[in-house]
Amino acid sequence: MDGLLERESQLAALAAALEEARTTGRLVLVQGEAGAGKTALVKRFGELARDRARFLYGRCDPLLAPRTFGPVAEVAAAAGGDLAAAVESGAPAYDVLHPLLDELRREPTVVVLEDLHWADQATLDLLRLVGRRADETRALVVATFRDVEPSHPLRVAIGELAGAAGIRRVTVPPLSLDAVRLLTEPAGLDAAELHRLTGGNAFFVTEVLTAGAGRVPETVRDAVVARLASLGPAARGLLDVLAVLLDRAEAALLAELAPEELDAAPACLAAGIVVADGGTLAFRHELARLAVDELLPPGRRLELHRRILRALTARGADSARLAHHAEGAHDAGAVMEHATAAADRAIRAGAHREAAAQLGRALRFADALVPADRAELLERRAHECYLIDAIDDALTAKAEALELRRSLGDLLKVGDLLRMSSYCLWLVARNDDALAAAEAAVELLETLPPGRELAWVYANMAHRARVALDPAGAREWAHRAAELAERVGADDAAADALVTLGAVDAMDGLGATGLERAVAHARARGLDGIAARGIAALAFSAVRARAWDEAERRLAEGLEFTTERDIDTWRSYLLAWRGVARLDQGRWNEATADAERALTIGLAPVNRASALATLGLVRLRRGDPGADAPLEESLAIVAASATSSHRLVPAAVIRAEQASLAGDPAGALAATRVAEPHELADRWMAGELAAWRARLGDPVADPGPLPEPYALELAGDHAAAARAWDALGCPYDAALALAHADDVDALRDAHARLQELGAVPAAAVVARRLRERGVRSIPRGPRPSTRAHPAGLTRRELEVLALVREGLRNAEIAARLAISDKTVDHHVSAILAKLGARTRSEAARLAAELEDGEPAART
Amino acid sequence: MDLYVILRRNGWSSPEELSEAAARSTAEGERMADDVRWIRSYVLEEGAGVGTVCVYEASSPEAIRRHAAAADLPCDEIVRVADTVVVRDDPAKAAA
Repeated sequence: MDGLLERESQLAALAAALEEARTTGRLVLVQGEAGAGKTALVKRFGELARDRARFLYGRCDPLLAPRTFGPVAEVAAAAGGDLAAAVESGAPAYDVLHPLLDELRREPTVVVLEDLHWADQATLDLLRLVGRRADETRALVVATFRDVEPSHPLRVAIGELAGAAGIRRVTVPPLSLDAVRLLTEPAGLDAAELHRLTGGNAFFVTEVLTAGAGRVPETVRDAVVARLASLGPAARGLLDVLAVLLDRAEAALLAELAPEELDAAPACLAAGIVVADGGTLAFRHELARLAVDELLPPGRRLELHRRILRALTARGADSARLAHHAEGAHDAGAVMEHATAAADRAIRAGAHREAAAQLGRALRFADALVPADRAELLERRAHECYLIDAIDDALTAKAEALELRRSLGDLLKVGDLLRMSSYCLWLVARNDDALAAAEAAVELLETLPPGRELAWVYANMAHRARVALDPAGAREWAHRAAELAERVGADDAAADALVTLGAVDAMDGLGATGLERAVAHARARGLDGIAARGIAALAFSAVRARAWDEAERRLAEGLEFTTERDIDTWRSYLLAWRGVARLDQGRWNEATADAERALTIGLAPVNRASALATLGLVRLRRGDPGADAPLEESLAIVAASATSSHRLVPAAVIRAEQASLAGDPAGALAATRVAEPHELADRWMAGELAAWRARLGDPVADPGPLPEPYALELAGDHAAAARAWDALGCPYDAALALAHADDVDALRDAHARLQELGAVPAAAVVARRLRERGVRSIPRGPRPSTRAHPAGLTRRELEVLALVREGLRNAEIAARLAISDKTVDHHVSAILAKLGARTRSEAARLAAELEDGEPAART
Repeated sequence: MDLYVILRRNGWSSPEELSEAAARSTAEGERMADDVRWIRSYVLEEGAGVGTVCVYEASSPEAIRRHAAAADLPCDEIVRVADTVVVRDDPAKAAA
């Protein structure tokens, strides 16, 4: 094939992106199934644009635990300079970012990163960071990848970039029937049949066509195998080596690995299974490699891994690659050496996912280790698993380490492990086990000379007490921790205790100064995890107080911090709480976006519960399908982790809302009886509970002091309550307050507000109440077709027009509104038509006239 | 991905407005190809204008709402499809 079929629009999109990148950088995501022809597309683009920019290439390999910064290292090596130095030094993504951005600003550059579905965490982190600042460079970054499940780290990284300006998407779809027809005509095969069989997959189609007439292969694998049939044993031997090597191979390496078989290289090239590229030999496609690989007998595979391991070790290859071959060669010593080296490299670069995988690999071959070394390896793995939120794996590793340490009589380590296990158990909502472990840790460590470990136990107990809403207990433990920490010089434990004390003060309504100071203290000492916890507590208290401006500010600060430092547990927590904040502000689309993102990042149940509740409540309030599942899951997590009935109150108000919307007031009332409002420390929660009790006809006699909107509603002044909610910026709460009033005006207002919010079930309930009071004319719903604007422009068209009047081009408008360029084009055409204008400037002028002068006739 | 029915009652005051909306829907659908796939729509006669019943494949109701917000389409009600039962093919297909 000379040219590429059906790729004109994709090539045009890449060319356009390259043009745009001359002034503001672009990131193009190229997506398509395996064998769709992504590499061919990118290669063709490279040929066409060769003279317009410098091209740098990087590739990812299908390793179980990929090399840290794999593709980036290739790019950096080609670019040289500071970037190469940064990557080689083993710095984390944040520190590689700036040399990379500098490199991308220097001259028009295209960076091609292929097969990112196999990318390591450090590369994905860098991609996220670069993606958000692509427009600061003069580079075009082209990233290719296969379709992956939503929970795949690549999808998560791309999801983070979704709103950023400067991102473009190109899909490489299967070939159409017409294209297949064009290809099959000369060969005389049945195009429709071939299209059906291959699904239009470009690689599969070419495989079949090359196989020629005769038996048509049923799968890609069969097609490749058919090609192999014509090759002799020497060629097969060469291909076997290449298959296990997983990478392009230079002639010199192949000469060492397959001296007798190298002569068969031309035959392999002629058969089209491999391609030569600048002195290296590689499979034409991963699918071909897989097919050959699957045919390898285990003994042969093992022998090849051994040979390759020897050759690559002598060449000083990357330790992740060596660990892979060491495992395949069943060489325990080599696995231990290279897997731990790869893990060290990954940890330095912040690629904790790969570190955990490499340490797990080392453990599989750790039988020869003495117990102390094995325990240390387990402890390292546990820590990495904790960092990537794989808490169950962390607990398993800790438990095994604990037994080893106990058998060694290392009580200090046992105590510390008990403490860390306690923290993890709390994260997975196994609260009783967590408390037991913590108490065992205290008991054990108090029998030993006091040290860092004991200070940390006290700090953890303080944190736990605060979370269990026991401020007095929290203060006591925190002071004990701080005092001991100072004595033994455990700065980190001291900082942690300070954060807890600050958070308790904030919880008790004593203001946030203590907490702010504690965060600054932790940041100054580079204690990122502890600082993140403090920032999260600051955000949390602002959200609970419904101080939206402050809350948004703290959440933004926290998210930036945790994103840059890669602290996933707290990032997911902050996203979940931003979801709650948006939920309460009536910004439901944003709320679900945050909740969904929190759920894909964080696995710890503690974080999941609030995100699931947000998702479920938005669906419940809109009447959208699928409200029950996330709500039930959230309530189950809370129930399992509840340490006091007070923790069940948020669940109770959710159940009350659920039941009342489902027309089950008795069930709703039963749900609210889980606690009495006057008992609760959180007065907002007390108010919500008291309000539901009153709405359901069983008012509480003395709820205690309540926040203004709830107090007003309970006093019977629903209109004032709504005004108070409006002042706080809580539209759904305002509507609910009105919805439970008795007078028709309030109910009408509630109905209109609920419809405006899209709260269909609640609006229906209010409509029913209105009809019961004899009201007939209840509006059916907001009519998007009714326009208040004289020329009949919609709200969105007015938004676009405003940006046109500011002088923005369509691409800039698209970026600002987070919609596609084409959509903006359509809006602009519609605006011109409605205003009767021929140009944008005429439209701007006419719009201004309409605003100042008399409105034209209404539509 | 599940199948969903979306009601957009009285969304537009003329068929021309609807085809503009369809173009925006396609444009935004391309951007969200992983999350929403427009399967088909029936255009409803609503007296003072038109509405639609749409069938989409989507990863979640939220994806449908995000798509509607981006393409500036109304979204009155979303219902999950439990099963599809085709008794007869549609008599005539309208171009998308």
